[in-house]
Amino acid sequence: MTAKVIDGKAFAAKVRGLVAAQVTKLVADHGITPGLAVVLVGEDPASQVYVRNKHASTVEVGMASFEHRLDAGTAEADLLALIAQLNADPKVHGILVQLPLPGHLNSELIINSIDPAKDVDGFHISNVGLLGTGQKSMVPCTPLGCLMMLRDHHGKLAGLNAVVVGRSNIVGKPMAQLLLGDSCTVTIAHSRTKDLAAVCRGADILVAAVGRPEMITGNMVKPGATVIDVGINRIERDGKAKLVGDVDYASAAAVAGAITPVPGGVGPMTIACLLANTLTACCRANGLAEPEGLTA
Amino acid sequence: MTATLIDGKAIAARMRGETLAEAQALTEAGWSPKLVSLSVGDVAAAELYVRNQKRSAELAGVEFEARNYPETISLEQLTGVLAGLNADPRVNGIIIQRPLPAHIPVKALQKAVHPMKDVEGMHPASIGNIVYNDLTLGPCTAVAAVEILKTLPLKMEGLDVCVIGHSEIVGKPIAFLMMGLGATVTVCHHMTRQVAVHSRAADAVFVAVGKPGLVNGEMLKPGAALIDIGINRVDGKTVGDADFDSCSKVAGWITPVPGGVGPVTVSTLMKNAVLATRMQMDHYRAAFAAAV
Repeated sequence: MTAKVIDGKAFAAKVRGLVAAQVTKLVADHGITPGLAVVLVGEDPASQVYVRNKHASTVEVGMASFEHRLDAGTAEADLLALIAQLNADPKVHGILVQLPLPGHLNSELIINSIDPAKDVDGFHISNVGLLGTGQKSMVPCTPLGCLMMLRDHHGKLAGLNAVVVGRSNIVGKPMAQLLLGDSCTVTIAHSRTKDLAAVCRGADILVAAVGRPEMITGNMVKPGATVIDVGINRIERDGKAKLVGDVDYASAAAVAGAITPVPGGVGPMTIACLLANTLTACCRANGLAEPEGLTA
Repeated sequence: MTATLIDGKAIAARMRGETLAEAQALTEAGWSPKLVSLSVGDVAAAELYVRNQKRSAELAGVEFEARNYPETISLEQLTGVLAGLNADPRVNGIIIQRPLPAHIPVKALQKAVHPMKDVEGMHPASIGNIVYNDLTLGPCTAVAAVEILKTLPLKMEGLDVCVIGHSEIVGKPIAFLMMGLGATVTVCHHMTRQVAVHSRAADAVFVAVGKPGLVNGEMLKPGAALIDIGINRVDGKTVGDADFDSCSKVAGWITPVPGGVGPVTVSTLMKNAVLATRMQMDHYRAAFAAAV
């Protein structure tokens, strides 16, 4: 059996299209343009690429993009003052502080100074708790993207056995919450799990988010299962640089029912969900109905 | 085999002893811990809880004030009361007794309690901290259930744990607390296809559903620990979610109901009260540089 390939690029384009259509409607019906502010401190090359991509995608769906580039030596007080200003700005509905921050800045303090309603990354401690208690919150983009892909593929997820490998704050933990919210039976496995292969083989839905190249192999996958690969690892093979996931694609695809490739799977969904979250935040801020199909 | 009975009352008494020592130290530092309990309307349903809490507070050296507001009070008025208690330095913890009248949404009140006075561990920020593996003030029942498991000679790291019930105040926080301790956790609930498949694979089972007899001996791995959080009334008797007779023949350890998780929950509330008081004292001293 060969798995169906879940095309993240195509699905992300569809999600961005949905966002764009609803932005157009917001502008036409209410004269409101959703706005996303991105704050970049320092000159980390990878972060610069991310911020540039976010800006381009934001503009492409018709939203306002506000970029704030600060130099690496920015004082914490100045960054906090900027966030306070963005919190108060009615044109800004989403605020994203690009991580990692330079070492002299306290990331936790900075993130928790963002108004939770504008915290489109979903990292504010109140959003974490709201998600944990099944209340309306801002949901981290990557797991939200995975959830959308799973819903699109399966329809209903209720009753399915889901195994999340990895317990990171930004993917594993919120992913588990979201799958519980959709009534899956959820197991969270990690580096301390005794028999990882056996746990994984029990999964109808297997989400890998550990950051270890190709550690999930075909013999750990239940025949017909859906495999979501969140990992992005840069490795060298035959003298060439290559991007691979946490799943050994070839062996897993031979067993799974459906699988996301790397690249072109979960990756493109992250920015699409950032836009979706900004739209959601804008609707909530204006007391409008939440955008359909774009929330957890 | 016959399970060892876990004595919740003894664990609770030991915790209260530790809390009392801390409460006395805080009192000497000028910060005597005080809890305020709020109930609204007819108190009959909550009365037993309030009485238990008051008694436990006395034994733990924590001052306890029970307030009751009339059924007709509005959400705005109650939020105002909470704002007053949040600002009052003599009050270190706030308990909101349930049930509340229909016009008072409990979550709105829980959010209005200052996170540093949230001794029930219900504020989203408190839950968020648990998810992020930073336990400060946790929901009392979940923390109590995990504390009980920790008294057993089991290695938490790599332990296979099954949590039956995914409520926001018990099941889910237990899952995150156990995960933080390194356990592999599976959360089951009413949509789970075969709970027994998961529970039989587990070294420890937590059950918090509110259905008597939900777990029986056949659903357990021989020698497993069973922590029963359910409290149900059946034929005038208080029973848990587990069928005690069959489970106690298979399990290695089991909590009785009553006398298991219940007493430890109340002791956890008192422990949270002194934790909260110390946090507030430290915060005050850091903010006003008045370290003594």
